[in-house]
Amino acid sequence: MVNEEYRGARKWSRNKQAVATVVWISFLAAAVATMLFFAVFDPTELMATFDADIGIGQQGGYAIGFFFFWMICAGCSAITAWLVRTAPKRDANNR
Amino acid sequence: MSKAAQTDQPRAVALYESAKKIYPREIDGRFASLSKLATYALLGLFYAVPWLMWDERQAILFDLPARKFYLLGLTLWPQDFIYLAWLLMMAAFTLFFFTALAGRLWCGFACPQTVWTEAFIWMEQWTEGTRSQRMKLDKAPWSWNKLRRKGSKQFLWIAFSLWTGFTFVGYFMPVRQLGVDILALNVGGWTLFWGLFYGFATYGNAGYMREQVCKYMCPYARFQSAMFDNDTLIISYDEKRGEPRGGRKRSVDREKEGLGDCIDCQLCVQVCPTGIDIREGLQYECIACAACIDACDSIMDKMEYPRGLVRYTTEHAMQGGTTKVLRPRMFVYGGLLAVLMTALITSMATRTPVILDVIRDRNTLYRELPGDVIENSYTIKIINQSNDARSFHLAVDGVTGLTLDGAADEVAVAGGEVLSLPVRARTHRDNAYGIMNITFSVTAVDDDSVVIVEDSRFLGPTP
Repeated sequence: MVNEEYRGARKWSRNKQAVATVVWISFLAAAVATMLFFAVFDPTELMATFDADIGIGQQGGYAIGFFFFWMICAGCSAITAWLVRTAPKRDANNR
Repeated sequence: MSKAAQTDQPRAVALYESAKKIYPREIDGRFASLSKLATYALLGLFYAVPWLMWDERQAILFDLPARKFYLLGLTLWPQDFIYLAWLLMMAAFTLFFFTALAGRLWCGFACPQTVWTEAFIWMEQWTEGTRSQRMKLDKAPWSWNKLRRKGSKQFLWIAFSLWTGFTFVGYFMPVRQLGVDILALNVGGWTLFWGLFYGFATYGNAGYMREQVCKYMCPYARFQSAMFDNDTLIISYDEKRGEPRGGRKRSVDREKEGLGDCIDCQLCVQVCPTGIDIREGLQYECIACAACIDACDSIMDKMEYPRGLVRYTTEHAMQGGTTKVLRPRMFVYGGLLAVLMTALITSMATRTPVILDVIRDRNTLYRELPGDVIENSYTIKIINQSNDARSFHLAVDGVTGLTLDGAADEVAVAGGEVLSLPVRARTHRDNAYGIMNITFSVTAVDDDSVVIVEDSRFLGPTP
């Protein structure tokens, strides 16, 4: 007897796949960017250099840096994913 | 209906069904034991490492506030970041090497996603019972029993996730102090945030998303096949031996009935954490956890058939050839790994444990002092990367008659410290005009071979 419960496994919808992939891959990219950036720059020194003591401290600097990178990367990933998915179908005569 | 149509139909249906929960069935066997061992070892390491000490300090600590990385006896600075990147590259090539050799070993036994999922499934089994009990419980209407079982599962999951988040933060700030702070309810906002963030990610990934992460979100799962060839170890169903599959009594002579060794018990499908049927061939969802091998072996033992209907093998072996372990691909990955490792060790062994930074004072080009003297100001930073205090000679060169003011003959820098020193370089007006290149150098007093030279500029009046 074929046990239908387990055939084919569960499947995420395309939108769910897209969101999860965009969020996760941009998270990884942002982690790398954050490490590279803060290996060179110390948030406290940055704030001192630009005379911008915005009261977030060093830890806040790291966190904001990370979320900033994450946002940029996620935006970039999302637009890429959207463009790829909504690209016009190939011309039938020119395939 | 033909056999093929029967097996194909439910698969086509599944494409149109919404996400269906997979209830992996528990299984004992050689590979289950191995996986249990890997889970204990890896999770044990993760939770224990922050508590290890090395000379009065945490053995492994990425001290973000102080911007220093402690790796056992080694102290790494942001300037040593290249070593970390190098280590990551080595990790990547190690992964390629083992993928080419033995397939998705990483996925099945070592990936954090697998390891934490395994731990979460254990907790699920303790509270909700076996696979069939879990399925029944999910279908049943809410009752005191269901609430109690689901509630205790959530309690275990959440407690475990919180501990995971706490441990994670413990890699970035001293874990003992963090524990004290938490008990005193005196934790910084960001610390709390990162702990909860990581804890929540663990909870979501290992409790709910599970195999979906591997299927949809993992880049490695997509490109690992590029490292595969016909000699890579894969988990495979021996179709020649197994087909035609079919149920039968133990007493039945399978040759007389024209049956293969597969009794179509579905156990290999039920134990699969990604919910695939290994008998349909190698699929990219397969994370090579080998649960199906254990399942099939247990059935083969019961039927008194030889083990290995589902087994670790290679394409070549399946086609009756022999598996070649030493092949060009292995030499390329192995060779690159060896080169990277040699370079890293050489570089670390010969690195000078001092860093010199020279920053010219940007506010003024130069100053004219009485007696026709031209002066430039600099901030010198000497970073002593070793763990012991050290004294250095500071010198400047490049312009006739250039002298330093503000620096003692010998400057002492404590172990692991950064010394920031404002100094002024002076020379007579006759020697200075325009932009001139100069060099600063520090030499360790106790060891002449420890010398660091750094370029800078000296500005004088332009006639």
